[in-house]
Amino acid sequence: MKPKILVIVPAYNEAGNISATIQEISSLHLSRCFGDTEVSVLVVNDGSSDATAQHARKAGALVVSLPFNLGIGGAVQTGFKFAREQGFHFAVQVDGDGQHDVAFLEAIIRPVFNGEVDMTIGSRFLPPHLGYQSSFFRRIGIHFFARLISFLTEYKITDPTSGFRAYNKKMIEIFARYYPQDFPEPEAIVVAGRYKARIKEVPVTMRKRAQGNSSIRYFKTLYYMIKVTFAILLDKLKSPREA
Amino acid sequence: MINTKIVTVMLACAVFFLVLDLIRREKLTFKYAAFWIFVSGGAAFFAIFDRVLFRMASFLGFQLPSNFIFFTLLSVFVFLGLLMTIFLCQQNSRNEMTAQKIGLLELEIEQMKSRKVLDNEAGKDDS
Repeated sequence: MKPKILVIVPAYNEAGNISATIQEISSLHLSRCFGDTEVSVLVVNDGSSDATAQHARKAGALVVSLPFNLGIGGAVQTGFKFAREQGFHFAVQVDGDGQHDVAFLEAIIRPVFNGEVDMTIGSRFLPPHLGYQSSFFRRIGIHFFARLISFLTEYKITDPTSGFRAYNKKMIEIFARYYPQDFPEPEAIVVAGRYKARIKEVPVTMRKRAQGNSSIRYFKTLYYMIKVTFAILLDKLKSPREA
Repeated sequence: MINTKIVTVMLACAVFFLVLDLIRREKLTFKYAAFWIFVSGGAAFFAIFDRVLFRMASFLGFQLPSNFIFFTLLSVFVFLGLLMTIFLCQQNSRNEMTAQKIGLLELEIEQMKSRKVLDNEAGKDDS
């Protein structure tokens, strides 16, 4: 049986970016990179009011359209549920806004594909690439969460807010069952820690958003930091869920 | 004193009958109405048998029965607020699960439809 990889692309009003992202992914010919594998791209259209779904379908992706906006956590979890139901062995998450440089997809998937780890995180703060590293205030927030998560878990994470991640079947099962909804990226690391997942960071570069606005821009950085800190601390109190 | 009793009993009866009417018109389910029926029953009981209320207040160390009433009401509403937040969160996560299921089922239906079209076309070619 061929190993199956699912590329999950959560998208909310990304009609301007989504086609280019899918075309970039398709042009990588990932199935060849990993030998004889089956690669599918799933766009989770998170209740967009524009033509995101149509553009994604036209570009050749599978599209799940949610009836209303669930937020990034709910959208990504939909991808995990699809991966679990369709028997995918690996899943990789790429934002639909063009921020993630998909040229690093192979590097992100490789450690998970080879069975070295359960989950990889693309980090923009690891050498040698060091491209666009977000705005000054957001960098402060990211470094703060990196310290907090490193203190609370066994992992030394440099980019806890990165959504550029790959997962194996174990993580697909876990996150299909429960995926944090409030501030999913940093919280998911704490959740993974509860299940003793092996995590590795992979150096990547990220780009500035091609079009549109990032939802995080509207949060006051400090308020956001306080809320995420509470969410992470509360996550630490939870215990693993039974299947 | 009699007037206060009458007003309280009337208010409790109004709440009680309003809740019954809401259940009858299917605007409220018994699960959520039970609390209000209990509250209106309790209010009517304490209005009629106010000595019980005075004794309870003095037993619990309240200097004035009115303080006891306000404290009890405040506690009940804090508890009710918390309970409502729990229900709200439950509904929210159920909504999310339903939305995800709808999205996934839609994709499954689309895939089945396109497979059927392909099968039909292949059938036509064969014949």
